Amino acid sequence: MNSSTLLSAPVRAADTPAPTPTAPSVTGTQLALADDLLALLRTTTTEPRPDDQLEALTLAVAADLPVLLWGEPGIGKTAALTQLAASLDLPLTTVIASVHEPSDFSGLPIVGDDPAVQGVPMAPPQWAVELVRAGRGLLFLDELSTATPAVQAALLRVVLERRVGAIQLPPDMRIVAAANPRASAADGWELSPPLANRFVHLHWVHDRQVVVRGLGGVWPRAELPRLAPERLPEAVAFARRAVCGFLEARPTLIHRLPSTETRRGGAWPSPRSWQAALTLLAFGTAASVSRDVLALLVRGTVGDGPGLELLAHIDRMDLPDPESLLADPASAELPVRGDLRQAALEAVVAAVGARPERERWEAGWAVLVRALETGAPDLLVAPATALAALRRDDWEVPEAVERLTGVVGLARRADRSVRRATTLANAGRATGARR
Amino acid sequence: MTGPAKPVGPSPRPLPRPMPPPAPPRPVRVSVPSPPAGSGEPAGRPGPPLDLEKLLAARLHAVKVRPYLADALFALHVVEDRSVPTMAVDVHWRCYVSPGFVARTPVEELAGVWVHEVSHLLRDHHARGERYAREHEEHGPGERSETGARQDEAWGRLRRNIAADFEINDDIYGDGLPLPAGAVLPSLLRLPTGLLMEEYLRTASMSGLAADLAWLDCGSGADGQHRPWELGPDGAHGLSRQQRDAVRFRVAEGIKGRPGQAPEGWRRWADEAFHPPQPWRQLLGAAVRSAASAPGAGENHSYRRPSRRSAAVPGVLLPSLRRTPPRVCVVIDTSGSVSDAELGSALLEVAAIARAVGGRRDLVSVISCDAAAGIAVPLCRAENIALIGGGGTDLRSGFARALRSRPGPDVIVALTDGQTPWPSAQPPCRTVVGLFPRPAGAVDEEDPDYVPDEPPSWARVVTIG
Repeated sequence: MNSSTLLSAPVRAADTPAPTPTAPSVTGTQLALADDLLALLRTTTTEPRPDDQLEALTLAVAADLPVLLWGEPGIGKTAALTQLAASLDLPLTTVIASVHEPSDFSGLPIVGDDPAVQGVPMAPPQWAVELVRAGRGLLFLDELSTATPAVQAALLRVVLERRVGAIQLPPDMRIVAAANPRASAADGWELSPPLANRFVHLHWVHDRQVVVRGLGGVWPRAELPRLAPERLPEAVAFARRAVCGFLEARPTLIHRLPSTETRRGGAWPSPRSWQAALTLLAFGTAASVSRDVLALLVRGTVGDGPGLELLAHIDRMDLPDPESLLADPASAELPVRGDLRQAALEAVVAAVGARPERERWEAGWAVLVRALETGAPDLLVAPATALAALRRDDWEVPEAVERLTGVVGLARRADRSVRRATTLANAGRATGARR
Repeated sequence: MTGPAKPVGPSPRPLPRPMPPPAPPRPVRVSVPSPPAGSGEPAGRPGPPLDLEKLLAARLHAVKVRPYLADALFALHVVEDRSVPTMAVDVHWRCYVSPGFVARTPVEELAGVWVHEVSHLLRDHHARGERYAREHEEHGPGERSETGARQDEAWGRLRRNIAADFEINDDIYGDGLPLPAGAVLPSLLRLPTGLLMEEYLRTASMSGLAADLAWLDCGSGADGQHRPWELGPDGAHGLSRQQRDAVRFRVAEGIKGRPGQAPEGWRRWADEAFHPPQPWRQLLGAAVRSAASAPGAGENHSYRRPSRRSAAVPGVLLPSLRRTPPRVCVVIDTSGSVSDAELGSALLEVAAIARAVGGRRDLVSVISCDAAAGIAVPLCRAENIALIGGGGTDLRSGFARALRSRPGPDVIVALTDGQTPWPSAQPPCRTVVGLFPRPAGAVDEEDPDYVPDEPPSWARVVTIG
């Protein structure tokens, strides 16, 4: 009673003309001033800013895959979602999973007149009905990890089939969920593996610069990745080639339930998540996003280990084709990075070894000479040794090999140094000087 | 240009590399020469040129004796720089090299330096150093003067660098890589070897070393702090985050694929590189919590009683949130040598978690072997936990006794060092095993071939400590 009168007091003051000229009008102007101040504080602008995690989130949302943001409380997950919804022009529906009951997601059973004849309809909650009425929207399931196991089980259907009770959510709807990592969610449950497998997991960390700039009034803007229409078939072909080629080589990674305690609740590989990874690869390629964004997405879909292996496989797909290097050694473009360059040269040697012919062997030497001209010589030692071992008796050593003598010298110098080191160690051990 | 190329006599303190004059004033580079593509050798600078051949021969040496690090060593991009004291790496995997240092260092020692620097990057010391600095507020906004704060920062950087060097130096040398005249080893401070950088930072003050090691500088790759000479994220030939991860991952997979070649320290790194171990308290908490919230126990929805919302919505059947407090039974096995401290902290943790998930004190019970009574009894008395005394010498009898109690437990938490036979069949309740790790080989003197059984697959295993 007391509280209602207290609450209604300022409202009445605003509605009715002031009985005394001082006190209520002061309250009124004070409130108006406060509103002005709040309005000023809320006036922020946005700026385009390259932000990998925001780009990854936008791309996954564009690809219509459910995303799960992991992050400490108060880190700006909800703010990012609000920005995203605004920039995609989608109405945002926030559902805090942990305060709901399973029936809010699986439908509320309503007993009718004759259940045996009509059945018991599962009535959807209001938010779902409104979402269907709007026809589109961004559904944000917050606090997923603190929902009880029964609620998580009910959410499976929402996330995968997009059904809430008897109602089918519109196809133009995107799902993003958020969860606190186990370390900070003291009373949380871990995500069950089936639910975890349906999401693209993104670890949300705050960027000092973004936060400082955002509090100063300028937030980064998420832009929908621009899909290049002419690249679509190429992107699909690339994604299929990458994932299929990789899984051919590593069939054990097709399905692997998380086994150790540290990996529970996170992404893990299964045919479903590989399908998602393929989709994301195609989207990323068509939108020409950076490899870092792709890495975030792929690792968040199939897990760190398999994701990194897939990325390494894609890196290797980027290496120049050994046959074309052999065909035109003089203008060969070799990777700049040392480890990739060595991998490319080893692929050339392997290609020569697969079909050893004299011309190919000599072309192999020419590629090595080209590599010597454009990069560090120590990378050549292993490929040159392997290529020399492929020599047949009737093949003459090509002149180009002369130019690799420096490499041989380098290898000898390293060998001498290794010998020195081992004799030193042996001497030390003999006299007991070391350890 | 202050060339740090003075020959130095035998130093009083052991040092990892020939010592240049302490803390040379480092001129900020006037112009940043962008190295020609691939060659990695900026040309046209005064002073003795960089002996690139010697440097690369040393890299080959390192690759020969540590083949599993080859990918990482080759991925480094060499940048010649006279303001670097010796050799340093930045977070983008560039390697800055002082020509004078290369000229006065023998090839085999240079090889060791290569491995040392690449180890900083592989072990992610910059990210770990930054994290440590953030958590311990080493960059905190002190009320000191600007110079004081900067000195503090420099001291924090040096501390992190020394601790990172401790972590590396105690296990990379030997076996083809000569230990330099005296590396910065943990033994300088009488610290045990084999710890991690963070542990050294926590336990040691290192102030005694500061004056001698002020010159020590492995670059931002070692501690995460930007140096004036570094090219930064926009410079040429840097590796992006994904590329760095890819290289580290390939090296880790290479080590795991051929476990015979790499020493213990590197194998451990490979196992944990992408899955850093989580604090056992959280893991144990999650395991007990999820075991206790399994159907039939703990907090979950049920239709056993109608929800209180039901009165408001006639015709709708609502489940209610029901809490069935789990009965947690802790089985302690001390046939091995579990220290009282270990056992005490683990037992306290289990009791706290069991209460947090809704178990009442009287629902947490402890079954202990006689040897453990010394620690378990006072602890249980303090925690008001019913102690069911006595027990067998192996874990099977402990499990049997736990299951015999009426009403039966919902969760069994076994605290053990794993040197025990396990029940052959899965007990009819969730099982969490808190495992105190024991080094392999220190098991049984009489039968060296004896290998204790792994914990069974039906139990959730959390390694404690």
